[in-house]
Amino acid sequence: MSRVKPTVDFIHAWQHPDEIADEVEAELRFHVQMRTNANIEKGMTPDEAQLAARQSFGDFDRIKNSCCEIKRGLPFDLKPMKMGLYIAIACIAGGVALVTVNLPHHNPFSVLWQLTAIAVLMRAFLVGRRKQ
Amino acid sequence: MSKAKAGLLQGTLDMLILKALSPGPLHGYGIGQRIALISGDELKIEEGSLYPGLYRLERRGWIESEWDVSANNQRAKFYKLTRAGKKQLIIEEQNWERLASATMKALRAN
Repeated sequence: MSRVKPTVDFIHAWQHPDEIADEVEAELRFHVQMRTNANIEKGMTPDEAQLAARQSFGDFDRIKNSCCEIKRGLPFDLKPMKMGLYIAIACIAGGVALVTVNLPHHNPFSVLWQLTAIAVLMRAFLVGRRKQ
Repeated sequence: MSKAKAGLLQGTLDMLILKALSPGPLHGYGIGQRIALISGDELKIEEGSLYPGLYRLERRGWIESEWDVSANNQRAKFYKLTRAGKKQLIIEEQNWERLASATMKALRAN
């Protein structure tokens, strides 16, 4: 159930990128404004307070872009799916290789499938190691 | 004790955000303030870095947000924990306690 809203937000972010950018900007500006007010209460002049608030916030545009990118990102992790896909392909390739192993040795399909199976299994192994 | 403020370990920010939201909804600025309060002002968080963290947690479904009016009558985005977020906070706390206890044991060893 908790995946529904992130998925709806993801679709909305792709349909209305400008609206999302405006929303992120409004949120970040609210933060800078609140910090500015707090700085004024501490005794700074409005200009000093705003400058200090911007400095303590960091790079506004970079943070805004980073937030927008996260909004547009997929609401689930692709890595396990990718790993699963490699394992499925490796299983199919291995199965076909087992079936074709009884074909005459000079049969090009048998050799091709066996080589493909080895290549895919090695790739799956490397992806698995990288994930660790 | 050192006066230097501790930097945040990788992954700690997520746990602190979830913890800060456990009593109730807050806007981003309020979350930063609450983290400073509950850590006795010892944990220094880059104010801007809080927001990518909030968006990541929202994408994972651990928190959700809605726009509302703040105490000073301004429009602000408020975040709150979801049921999955509450469960995640318990997991994070248990993991952290295990890690801290193991580290202390290692440091006290001769």
